[in-house]
Amino acid sequence: MRKEIATFVVNGNEYEVIVEPHMLLIDVLRDKLGFTGTKYACGAGDCGACTVLIDGKPSFSCLTLAVTARGKSIVTIEGLAQGTELHPIQKAFVDKGAIQCGYCTPGMVLSAKALLDENPAPARDEIKSALAGNLCRCTGYVKIVDAVEAAADAMRTGG
Amino acid sequence: MAQGFSYVGKRLTRPDVTGKVTGAAMYGADMTLPGMLIGRILTSPHAHAKIVRIDTSRAKTLPGVAAVITHEDVPKLGFTRSAMAEGFPAVAYKGENQDQFILSEKARYVGDWVAAVAALDVYTAEKALDLIEVEYEQLPAVFDPEEAAKPGAPAIHDRWQDNIAGVIEHPFNRGDVEKALAESDYVVEFSGRNSRQKHAHMEPDVALARWDEEGRVTVWSPCQNAHLAKRAMAQRIFDIGEGNIRWITPTVGGGFGARMSFGVEPVCAMLAKVTGKAVKVVITREEDFSGWNCRTEMRQTVTMGLSKDGTVTAIKQRILSDAGAYLSHSGSISAVNMQSTLGLLRSPVISGKATVVYTNNPTSSGMRGYGNPEGSFVLQQAIDMAAEKSGMDPVAFRLKNARGVGEPSMWEPVDLDSCSLDKCIKLGAERIGWTDKWEGWGRKKEGRFRRGVGMSIMTHASGAGGFLLEHSNAIIKLHEDGSAHLTVSPCEMGQGILGVLSQIAAEAAGLRYEDIHVITGDTDVTLFDIGSHASRSTYVIGNAVVDAGKKIREILLKRAAKRLETTPDKLDVREGRIYLIADPDTAISVAQISRDAIYDYGTDGQHITATGRYQSLTHCPNFQAGFAEVEVDTETGVIKILRFVLAHDIGRAINPQNVEGCLEGGACQGIGYALSEDLLIDGKTGEVLTDSFATYKMPSALDMPEIDVILVEDPAPTGPFGAKGVGEPGMTNVAPAIANALYDAVGIRIHSLPMTPEKVLEVLRAKEHEGSV
Repeated sequence: MRKEIATFVVNGNEYEVIVEPHMLLIDVLRDKLGFTGTKYACGAGDCGACTVLIDGKPSFSCLTLAVTARGKSIVTIEGLAQGTELHPIQKAFVDKGAIQCGYCTPGMVLSAKALLDENPAPARDEIKSALAGNLCRCTGYVKIVDAVEAAADAMRTGG
Repeated sequence: MAQGFSYVGKRLTRPDVTGKVTGAAMYGADMTLPGMLIGRILTSPHAHAKIVRIDTSRAKTLPGVAAVITHEDVPKLGFTRSAMAEGFPAVAYKGENQDQFILSEKARYVGDWVAAVAALDVYTAEKALDLIEVEYEQLPAVFDPEEAAKPGAPAIHDRWQDNIAGVIEHPFNRGDVEKALAESDYVVEFSGRNSRQKHAHMEPDVALARWDEEGRVTVWSPCQNAHLAKRAMAQRIFDIGEGNIRWITPTVGGGFGARMSFGVEPVCAMLAKVTGKAVKVVITREEDFSGWNCRTEMRQTVTMGLSKDGTVTAIKQRILSDAGAYLSHSGSISAVNMQSTLGLLRSPVISGKATVVYTNNPTSSGMRGYGNPEGSFVLQQAIDMAAEKSGMDPVAFRLKNARGVGEPSMWEPVDLDSCSLDKCIKLGAERIGWTDKWEGWGRKKEGRFRRGVGMSIMTHASGAGGFLLEHSNAIIKLHEDGSAHLTVSPCEMGQGILGVLSQIAAEAAGLRYEDIHVITGDTDVTLFDIGSHASRSTYVIGNAVVDAGKKIREILLKRAAKRLETTPDKLDVREGRIYLIADPDTAISVAQISRDAIYDYGTDGQHITATGRYQSLTHCPNFQAGFAEVEVDTETGVIKILRFVLAHDIGRAINPQNVEGCLEGGACQGIGYALSEDLLIDGKTGEVLTDSFATYKMPSALDMPEIDVILVEDPAPTGPFGAKGVGEPGMTNVAPAIANALYDAVGIRIHSLPMTPEKVLEVLRAKEHEGSV
């Protein structure tokens, strides 16, 4: 197996990692770099728990070969808060009770961020569509959709 | 009264969510320990096969492999996957329910554990699994519980001649049911079966274990009942004292009952013992789907006798439960099914009997509702049939026949002292618009899309007081700054119990909510508790916290009285401040009292601490009514839920946001259970065919209709601040209410879950055919 040193840009910081061609981005993020907020839940792109943003696009890190993400801008859940100041989406998830076990939360928040970056004022149905690839087994989605709506409002009004 | 609370009844932020939303929360799979190895398990490709030869020599010599173990290397005391060292006293098993070892000498289902490997990394561990050579002798397998129950069926556990794991008579059977049915004016009967719903918690199962120099083992795992698991592992697996096991529960990514059975902990602890290293065992989603743990499939018949005026005269329930390869919880679930099914309505004659059978299917277990969603699907359709037979509105029939205050609860020696089911039914009916939308029995509707409404009611326990071991403990310890550590033993698996118990502690002790820090999830530190299941934590642990809080309050008032030169009865404490009731400006802070108590150089030094306990003698049942409005597409068979209303008797909502979340989430699982979720098993090979989220269809955000949650708050006399349990009941009414709405819309009944478009179409076509003849 051919190993190589690859550079990854995660949450704005550069990291050099020894990778093998078969390695998945989720394994590099979790095992090599310690970004364990990125969750493994299915390994097949069916549930969205491993979602990260690659150049702003929500991507399944469990299906992404690590080498294909070299040099691209990767955002994980750890990259959203500014110090102890939560991102408005994170704050809305907390305030609206959108978090139960929390295992789907990082992927859900990042999918919501990708949506709101593109569409700052989505309708409820548009929110549901954007999150349809992120499974949650706890909440029944009601409060998650509420949270994304509230975050959209807060981000538009600068709140 | 509620306005007098500082924290109870408020939508406060839970202590666990900030870590979860920033990615900082540590789940089992996120943990690493120095020198940690990765463990993987070899599973059987055959449903029933003797292991003739197993050769691990090639696997053992692979560089990076630390250990390979088989059934020859594991203890042979025998344990049950339900992680109970002792059986449920309510369930009379044939003999022994401790029916499995860490690794099997004979494969009893596809996915049964045959060997395990510990290696430097997951890639090496998987390579090693490939190098293990197993020679199987395939045996005839049986997958249908009715076939498995017959004499001459292949015996799955060799020590018994047949596959009958247990026959359970409902303890409150009374009267001659056949005679009562024969003498009834009307008799209705409905048979149905539920699917093997998967818990499908988003976090796959995982465990870490490490033995120390003193021969103690620490296990880290998502476990709903760590104190019981600790004992079962000590007593039934390693034959060591309970004090030699420390069980730590990290952040848990969903439970729903799955984590009240052993997962990979036993094999993980074994690999750690053999290697002398820390080992983490991980599994894949496919392995989770085809491994162990799913809702127990039950085939049931409910027969009801009625008098002409719509009074229930007799109820009879017969259950055949498919335990799968090992017993786990399926016996006790069958017993709880009978409690909730036969204990809901008033009836002079009751007869319940369940037969639990081994098959070569994956091991069943308990899932949210624990027998209640299984029984309700059948009972609530029988109730609607009874209402139709009596010419009564389903709402009126239920109001007439449901038990209420002063009558026996689902576990009969206990009488109900709190029941707001009537109110739930009335409020729910009003919200869905029942009187406008329900047009009466037998009204034929026209057109491709036909709408209907249906309802269902339920009762569920808040813990198992009265029939199981049911007590809990809580410790509150004050710090110099007036903050407190609250040590309790629930499993925070997403339900928000840490916040709820903090709210209760702050209210009861008179502290500030933000000053409560919870210590939990470590059996070395926490006191005994049977864990988070049976919708018990708020009620039972909450009462223990109230007890501890009252004791803290007493100490604080006593010490403050000295300082303020008064008597304790003249004082109150609230939000971290002790004050004169008659003159609230005369006050001293809890911090001051706490600090001065510790730094007392005289004779009265004290670290203010209190231990509370509670033993529940009742199970304080909660009640709920669910209402569905559906639209059925008669060309495709698709049932679209237009609206679901759920009115729940919560006693008191400690945190209404949490209660809504539990009910909405439960309703979502109920919708999956009703319409799409089904663990399909190949009837010839025993292989699980739906082993991914792509094939096992759980609701997504797009599948959720409008859910209308109504909280009915009539404080329960025995609840902490009046609260009852709510963890499980969200899903119970969903499938039966939809089934009854389907009947209202198109006049058909489906006898098995899920109610897929294919089944709906098939029955619709058959009905049309019948009608045209």
